[in-house]
Amino acid sequence: MKNMELHLTVNGESLNWTIAPGELLLDVLRRQGYFGVKRGCEKGECGACAVLLDGMPINSCLMFAAQAEGRQILTIEGVADGGKLDPMQEAFLDHGAVQCGFCTGGMVLSAKALLERRPDPTEEEVREMLAGHLCRCTGYRKPVEAVLAAASKKRNTARRMKPVAEVVR
Amino acid sequence: MFDKVEAFYRPANVREALRLLQSGKGQARVVAGGTDVVVEGDDSVRYLIDITHAGLSYIRRRGTASVIGATTTMAELEASDAMQALAGGLLSRAARWCGSALVRNLATLGGNMANGSPAADMATPLLVLDASVVMVNARSRHKLPLAEYLAGARTKRHARSLLVEVVVPEPPNGKGCRWSFQKLGRTAVDISLVNVAAGLQLDSRGRVKWARIALGAVAPAPMRASGAEQRMKGRILDQALLAEIGAEVAREVSPISDARASAEYRREISSVLTRRALEECSAHVGCSL
Amino acid sequence: MNGDRAGQSRDRQGAVSRLVVGRNVRKVDGVKLVTGGAAFTDDVHIPGMLHGKILPSPHAHARIRRIDTSKAKALAGVHAVLTYKDVPRVPHTTAGQAWPEPSPHDTYLLDSKVRFVGDRVAAVAAESRAIAERALKLIEVEYEILPAVLDMEQAMAAGAPVIHDEPDSTKIYDRQRNIAGYILREIGSVEQGFAEADHIFERQYRTQRQQHCPIEPHVTICWLDADARLVIRTSTQVPYHCRRQVAMILQIPVSRVHVVKPRIGGGFGGKQEMLLEDICGALALASRRPVKIEYTREEEFYMARSRHPQILRMKMGVKRDGTVVASQLTVLATTGAYGSHSTTVQGNTGSKVLPLYRAAHMRFECHVVYTNAPVAGAFRGYGCPQGFFAQETLVDEIACELGMDPMDFHRNNVIRLGDTDLLSAQLGEGKEGLPRLVRSCGLPQCMESAARAIGWTQKRKSLPNGHSHLRRGVGMACTMQGSGIAGVDWASAFLKMNEDGSFFLQVGASDVGAGADTVLSQIAAETLGVTLDKVIITSGDTDITPFDVGAYASSTTIISGGAVKKAAARVRSQVLELASKMLDAPVDQLDCANNEIFTTCACRKSVSMTDLAMQAMYKEKLQIMDGASHFNTDSPPPFCATFAEVEVDTETGQVRVVHLATAVDPGTAINPMQAEGQVEGAVAQGLGYALTEELLLDAAGRPVNPNFLDYKMFGAQDMPKLTTILVETDEPLGPYGAKSISEVPINGPAPAIANAIFHAVGVRIRKLPIRPEDVLRALHAERPANLEEELLTQ
Ligand SMILES: Cc1cc2nc3c(=O)[nH]c(=O)nc-3n(C[C@H](O)[C@H](O)[C@H](O)COP(=O)(O)OP(=O)(O)OC[C@H]3O[C@@H](n4cnc5c(N)ncnc54)[C@H](O)[C@@H]3O)c2cc1C
Ligand code: FES
Ligand code: FES
Repeated sequence: MKNMELHLTVNGESLNWTIAPGELLLDVLRRQGYFGVKRGCEKGECGACAVLLDGMPINSCLMFAAQAEGRQILTIEGVADGGKLDPMQEAFLDHGAVQCGFCTGGMVLSAKALLERRPDPTEEEVREMLAGHLCRCTGYRKPVEAVLAAASKKRNTARRMKPVAEVVR
Repeated sequence: MFDKVEAFYRPANVREALRLLQSGKGQARVVAGGTDVVVEGDDSVRYLIDITHAGLSYIRRRGTASVIGATTTMAELEASDAMQALAGGLLSRAARWCGSALVRNLATLGGNMANGSPAADMATPLLVLDASVVMVNARSRHKLPLAEYLAGARTKRHARSLLVEVVVPEPPNGKGCRWSFQKLGRTAVDISLVNVAAGLQLDSRGRVKWARIALGAVAPAPMRASGAEQRMKGRILDQALLAEIGAEVAREVSPISDARASAEYRREISSVLTRRALEECSAHVGCSL
Repeated sequence: MNGDRAGQSRDRQGAVSRLVVGRNVRKVDGVKLVTGGAAFTDDVHIPGMLHGKILPSPHAHARIRRIDTSKAKALAGVHAVLTYKDVPRVPHTTAGQAWPEPSPHDTYLLDSKVRFVGDRVAAVAAESRAIAERALKLIEVEYEILPAVLDMEQAMAAGAPVIHDEPDSTKIYDRQRNIAGYILREIGSVEQGFAEADHIFERQYRTQRQQHCPIEPHVTICWLDADARLVIRTSTQVPYHCRRQVAMILQIPVSRVHVVKPRIGGGFGGKQEMLLEDICGALALASRRPVKIEYTREEEFYMARSRHPQILRMKMGVKRDGTVVASQLTVLATTGAYGSHSTTVQGNTGSKVLPLYRAAHMRFECHVVYTNAPVAGAFRGYGCPQGFFAQETLVDEIACELGMDPMDFHRNNVIRLGDTDLLSAQLGEGKEGLPRLVRSCGLPQCMESAARAIGWTQKRKSLPNGHSHLRRGVGMACTMQGSGIAGVDWASAFLKMNEDGSFFLQVGASDVGAGADTVLSQIAAETLGVTLDKVIITSGDTDITPFDVGAYASSTTIISGGAVKKAAARVRSQVLELASKMLDAPVDQLDCANNEIFTTCACRKSVSMTDLAMQAMYKEKLQIMDGASHFNTDSPPPFCATFAEVEVDTETGQVRVVHLATAVDPGTAINPMQAEGQVEGAVAQGLGYALTEELLLDAAGRPVNPNFLDYKMFGAQDMPKLTTILVETDEPLGPYGAKSISEVPINGPAPAIANAIFHAVGVRIRKLPIRPEDVLRALHAERPANLEEELLTQ
């Protein structure tokens, strides 16, 4: 087995790793200390290993690390801005959407990606997005509520921000 | 799992990919999204060839046909305007059923066909659209009807070939032409217990001009129910005909029993979904059954 | 956003003035969980750590004739290979129960006999997972394959292979007949009761092998610390039981073992079991290196535990007016190859289920048999989901036969405030128990509020079921559970004050994701009169925290919470005593709240907790601290009413649950938002139990669906609309009136859905899970008209 180089960006940091050509992205990320990326099934079924790949949620257990060459990865560790939680993280806490927290990182990432594409998702769309994330603790109601609440808060903030932007212009 | 892998290649074009496949001597594996390759976890693989940089991610028109590059993802099929317009968005709708949103960001159309699963959800809609696949190997490039390809997707015959694109001929257009995709799983995200795609055109008097029916997960490969299709031609689409077609489809399929469902259940569901697919097609044209 | 809290208006002394208890505070461990902080067992790098792997048996029943590990040992990177020849032989149970564990001691660290597919044959520790896997393949094993018995109905038959023929196992009821445990209890005389009854109903039910499926699989890391003590960092619900058991199995003193429970990715009973800690510890001792063993998802399905499958015969005698006079439940259950939790789970099937009805005559009989199948164990609900499925569907059938509204049947017959449940007195944790007195009961309100939420009265009469193939129906079930094991479960807590007026709270209780750390901190903060941020909790570390039996039997809030409240009350009096000196006021005129101690008289003097702490530590030279232990001699039942509306597709047999309303009486909800979360999580598992989840075995005893693709749990899109109602009552035995909540709601969905299916389409399904195929078959049997004919006449 020959090792190879992998160049990628994780949480905004440009990195250069040595990997084995057959390694999965999940294993490499965890080895590099991104413990927020969880191992739940290694078959693409639970979503605990989700990361954003160029802004899109994927299962890091379904991907060879080498496929990530040159790409941008966001893990749950990169979501909060220093000590400041992302509104989606705040919403998960405020709505009791976190129980054991094992599925939470993946859900938060998927939810953020959804709001980028659809700022005003329906409950149906939120559920479809969450369907890639098995949660054995919550029954999904509170995570769904958290995502919808974060979406509406984000829209309201955006609306409030708008006039300011116009003044600046 | 893949600790025998010696090299991971990212060929920049098809020619390069084929060369690598050739030199891999049967121990090389094409990786598109990787969602099937990884889960299968074949221990013997020595070389991985990532074809997603080989210029095969596209949705184009060529003449009257639509051409879909092999590494186009399910998410791209879902979101594509061209796909949403083609055959009433049949392919977009079916793509939305392929695994979770996370999986669909990786999974490709080519992988779905090349993996050769009898339950592959994109197979039945492509079959009713009379799609072909374009295969290339070191010596040739040839077009093959999808049905023919699916019957031997994982055989030696295609082992050193690449599926480069799927060609969907211009669907019969015109009034009264409609399409439907039906899938039954145990939960929302599931491998199909049965899936059915159908297309139908009625003439002005409510008679069937043509009908196409394809079923998945009920035979060794996704199949067209040609007996049922024949029987429908020229007939008035009413409940009696639907029942007859349902029964005919049940005769045509050859399902197996497994952990997901029994053969008898799959057979019965084949009839039900076929009927529902045809009903959906006819409901759109305002035909009241 | 939160569910209705129907009981909220209730006049309860002190309720209004509570500042922390009863509030929806955020989880105290929440931030690290939403930011991906390294919190779980496997979230550490330990230099030199090896990967442990277990060689699973490929046979359901076999004797190891010869085992040769020389090739595996010779492989570069392999540091230890263990077989039964290398380890002590100590009969034990993997069940994490209080000593002396009532489960049979029929399990060995490694044995020369294997009893199910997936049973331990050998274990290796190597420098990587890949090397460990290769090493397993190099172990040569010659098996003498023995006949296996997989069907529980054949396990007791003459001539069936004897699964535990080893002489050294103990506490097995009848090993020759593969009976792990047997229970027979009767109050009154059912014979007499049935003689008095006007109608007798008797039906048989079957339940399946359901798995816990925590998203975090079992994982353990063991190493020797600088003092050569064995440290076990593990995903466990029972750190203390685990310490005791591992010490015994590895034959080292308890004081040489240190168990650490980090954040846990869900347990549900599956981690109330010592599954990896013993073998991982043995590998660490053998290799003198840190060793990690983590089950893959597939191994989790093969080797972890599941809910006991049962065949239940339920018989009830009723008067013409629907009064229940006698009930009898006869159960055959299988525990798989080992008897983990065998008699206790099954005991619950009788003791927590039958007493829901006030019949004078009750009889419960149960055989728990060994089969060469994966091992069953503790699972949320602990025997009750099986029992309530039988009882609540039979009751529905009786009500329908008698032409009664099932609600009325329940209203007339269910246990009430002030009743004593005598069956529990006969059926304790593997021995005689203690009678249960109902001191708080919100069941009637639970029923009424859940019925309203679902629109029961109106939907029972008329549902818009025209000629469509989609037919709707509503059904209901009432259930109860316990709160801790009476006279067995106990816990302790310790508190000490810091210079800034904050408190360290140390509890042996194990937060496995359900929020115990938060609830216990709330109880401490409320009692001490401080804000929640002033309580810093450490839990589940056997070197640091005092004893607790662990997270099971719905005991944490009531028992561990009781200990916390007691300890906090003691610390509070130390605080007040010093404050009395500082403020020159008698203790009975002092109170504390919001980090301040103040006089309750007109003078309004006060001192902050911080100033008091500094005074204590640097002037008085006094560490304010205290601890307490707590147990109960009764197990107050939480109550639950589950109402379901379903839509049955009569062509595919698919059942879609449209709406599920659950009303629970948990006593006081210490954190209502978390309490709702417990209900909803239990309901999701209950829905899977009702409709989709089953670990299937092939004829050779091998799991055929050991993955989430084919073992189907409910996902976000599959969930019905959920209504969650907390009907709060005030339980005298619980801290701030709390009982428990996390188990009871799992019991209702299966019977409520089965009953709703009957209401929708008129077929009774008596087997779980209710698969579309079974519904369709039942519909065809009901209406033998063949498919085509039916279509033509539509
Ligand atoms: C959790 C989960 C859920 C799923 N759910 C569904 C579902 O609902 N419906 C469904 O249909 N499928 C489902 N799948 C299967 C899978 O995602 C699809 O089959 C997917 O389309 C495969 O595409 P891929 O690009 O990932 O294929 P890969 O894994 O990259 O490849 C699959 C196979 O095809 C070969 N191959 C790929 N591309 C080519 C090519 N261009 N030429 C020649 N050979 C090629 C590979 O060598 C491999 O043998 C699911 C998978 C997972 C993990
Ligand atoms: S670990 Fe990747 S989906 Fe479960
Ligand atoms: S919170 Fe535990 S799995 Fe989702």
